Amino acid sequence: MRELTYVDATREALDRAMARDPSIFVVGEGIGARGGNFNTTSGLYTKYGPERLCDTPISERGFVGMCAGAAMTGTRPVVDFMFIDFILDAFGELVNQVAKMQYMSSGRLKMPIILRGAIGIGHSAATHHSGSYYPIFAHLPGFRVAVPAIPSDAKGLFTTALHGDDPVLFLEHKSILFNRGEVPEGDYAIPFGQARIARAGADCTLVAIGSMVGKTLAACDKLAEEGVSAEVIDPRTIAPLDMATILESVHKTGRLLIVDETFQPCGVGAEIAAQVIDQGFDDLDAPIHRLNGAHVPTPYSPPLENAIVPQESDIEQSIRDLLAE
Amino acid sequence: MAYEVTMPRLGWTMEEGVFGEWLKQDGDEVQPGDLLFTVEGDKATQEVEVFEGGILRLPPNAPVAGDVIPVGALLAYIVQAGESLPIEEREQTSGQLPVASGQETPRTTGHGSQASALLTSHSSTLTSRRPISPRARRVADDLGVDWTQLTGSGRTGRIVERDVRAAAAQREEKPAVHATPLARRLAEEAGIDLTTLAGSASGGRIQREDVEAAILAARRETEEREPLSLRHERPSGVEPTETPDLAPQSSLSPHSRIRRITAQRMAESAHTTAPVTLTTEADATELAALRQQFKDSYTRRGWAVPSYNDIYLKLTAVALQEHPTLNASWSSDGIILHSAIHIGFAVDTENGLLAPVARDVATKSLRQIAAESKELIEGAHRHRLGHEAMQGGTFTITNLGMYGIDAFTPIINLPQAAILGIGRILCKPAVHNGEIVPRQMVALSLTFDHRVVDGGPAARFLNTVREYVSEPILWLSA
Repeated sequence: MRELTYVDATREALDRAMARDPSIFVVGEGIGARGGNFNTTSGLYTKYGPERLCDTPISERGFVGMCAGAAMTGTRPVVDFMFIDFILDAFGELVNQVAKMQYMSSGRLKMPIILRGAIGIGHSAATHHSGSYYPIFAHLPGFRVAVPAIPSDAKGLFTTALHGDDPVLFLEHKSILFNRGEVPEGDYAIPFGQARIARAGADCTLVAIGSMVGKTLAACDKLAEEGVSAEVIDPRTIAPLDMATILESVHKTGRLLIVDETFQPCGVGAEIAAQVIDQGFDDLDAPIHRLNGAHVPTPYSPPLENAIVPQESDIEQSIRDLLAE
Repeated sequence: MAYEVTMPRLGWTMEEGVFGEWLKQDGDEVQPGDLLFTVEGDKATQEVEVFEGGILRLPPNAPVAGDVIPVGALLAYIVQAGESLPIEEREQTSGQLPVASGQETPRTTGHGSQASALLTSHSSTLTSRRPISPRARRVADDLGVDWTQLTGSGRTGRIVERDVRAAAAQREEKPAVHATPLARRLAEEAGIDLTTLAGSASGGRIQREDVEAAILAARRETEEREPLSLRHERPSGVEPTETPDLAPQSSLSPHSRIRRITAQRMAESAHTTAPVTLTTEADATELAALRQQFKDSYTRRGWAVPSYNDIYLKLTAVALQEHPTLNASWSSDGIILHSAIHIGFAVDTENGLLAPVARDVATKSLRQIAAESKELIEGAHRHRLGHEAMQGGTFTITNLGMYGIDAFTPIINLPQAAILGIGRILCKPAVHNGEIVPRQMVALSLTFDHRVVDGGPAARFLNTVREYVSEPILWLSA
């Protein structure tokens, strides 16, 4: 099968949808002729013109509010935040309007808006350009939160986002944007709330999110030489979260580690752990472990940056610790 | 995981020990079998060996010479190289030497069977202290594995799934024994290893006949070697250090479980009590008449007829109500006066002496007592009595009348204070209302523990019993 980069796979989904559906348009800074800071819209400006690839000034709250109004009137805006950190400037619009509008209108109004941006720590982007924040959005009712880890998932999940009625946070970790992977041609959709078993195993269950999926798989490859059979689950979406697949895996293995770059307190790992304790208590053969990025603002210094993000060796050690419980 | 060194139970009724000295120092490497410390017993200083190898670590509050330590209390740890001492969290909860939970000495229940008290405290200790993962617990349930006996391989000593599965696999390696409950019991009593027998019933189940055949075969084998039997017994309950040197034509009869327990308890009683036996004779003519009345009247109604034993149980209970100092137990802390009156009575079964306990005798009618004791005696003969049925007695009576015995010196059933021996009822000349006439006479023998009660109260109690035998109306109206 042909290989595409993660960002090219997503853009392919966007391109195909825009060609079919004239109500889809993109809003953001530098997404027009420039083609997006991360090439998210590269080449689309020449195809679809300035009206559907709408460059904006730095005014997040303003253009998010306008896109919310546009979505309610029957179009499909794609807001491209470049760095997702700047979504915070539109937080009031998002939480109070975008997430609640369908409920407040008893479903008469739809909110098919995609909120996309690059997340995560890497490339010395420092403290204002390294955030992820998805636990915050997963906490709120009304949002869908997708965190694809591989190019084919990025395309399939973006397609789903472009066909739904709900606001979707589509979060692309900047360290994997240019990873290559096999991507099917043509249209396909990957439903939200369906985890992917990235690696099957029997000794322990590892739930890895976004950029951690690849690192976790690498750690598992190394441990496999010692006979460790680890199962790696990529939830693909945080909201909705596919607990059934995680519970089924824990039922098999009895041990669970959640590997997530975002902060540990009140995070996705805590949610997964709580649900497993609730519904899979008798399956647990060990305490549930979490491996997270450090609970600190992101430093600029590359060695410090490396130190606060779970690395392959950290994951390997965490798996060893889990198996020793 | 650190191995805990605790105060051992060195005697049958030992509740606490006086610490002697450490024979190894903090940080010393120890091997299984090394002598670790001494305990000063009543008669001798005993050296205690260690069962695990490793490094001896003494906590800061480790005992020193002369400390009185409860059985089961933590004394020290044996750790492996690189392992830290797990006492920090313990110190947070208690400044004292922690006593292993469930190992508390059974002070208030000390009058029960010591053997079963020991077993109970042992197993409850394990249950309450072994950490186990939820999954391991579930798998243990599914596989029917008793996880309380497992050692955990988890980081904190937690029992995890692999431990349970390993135990299940190990269990399956052992040949499963299919035997009827009766066969199991017979085999246990005769010391026959069931795994060496082949079952004759369908499916290879071992039945009573199989065990009996094995017992017979074992006996024949012994007899062939030692043709004549001379009973060789050591009532002290202490194991001979080497095989006894048997004269030709003697034979060694292996101890049954009941024999061992009886030997232990009798020896313990003989060695620790200060027994005094009082005897007297009572005129049982009216008692015999009363018994005849019960017999006539109850038989007509189809009720259980009170035996002499039942009548003695009842009148003794009423006498004990009047003399509570005889319804007492010795303990190291003080004398326990029991509020309830539970009377054990000796039953001579083909397998040995058993003493089932009639409960709350003072408050029950003779009809109730007769019905209940009948069940207990049948249970004793059929080996159906549980430990509970023989526990908790506060006094004991033993009746040898049916063997033609008059007076004797019964041995106190520890930790009770006294035991009443009853002889045969014999018609003989006696002075009654100033005339020598034939009367039904019975000898009464009371052995009491002079540590617990003095001669005066004991004599007054026995005199009350004598009066009750002579004039049943006194207790019938009580």
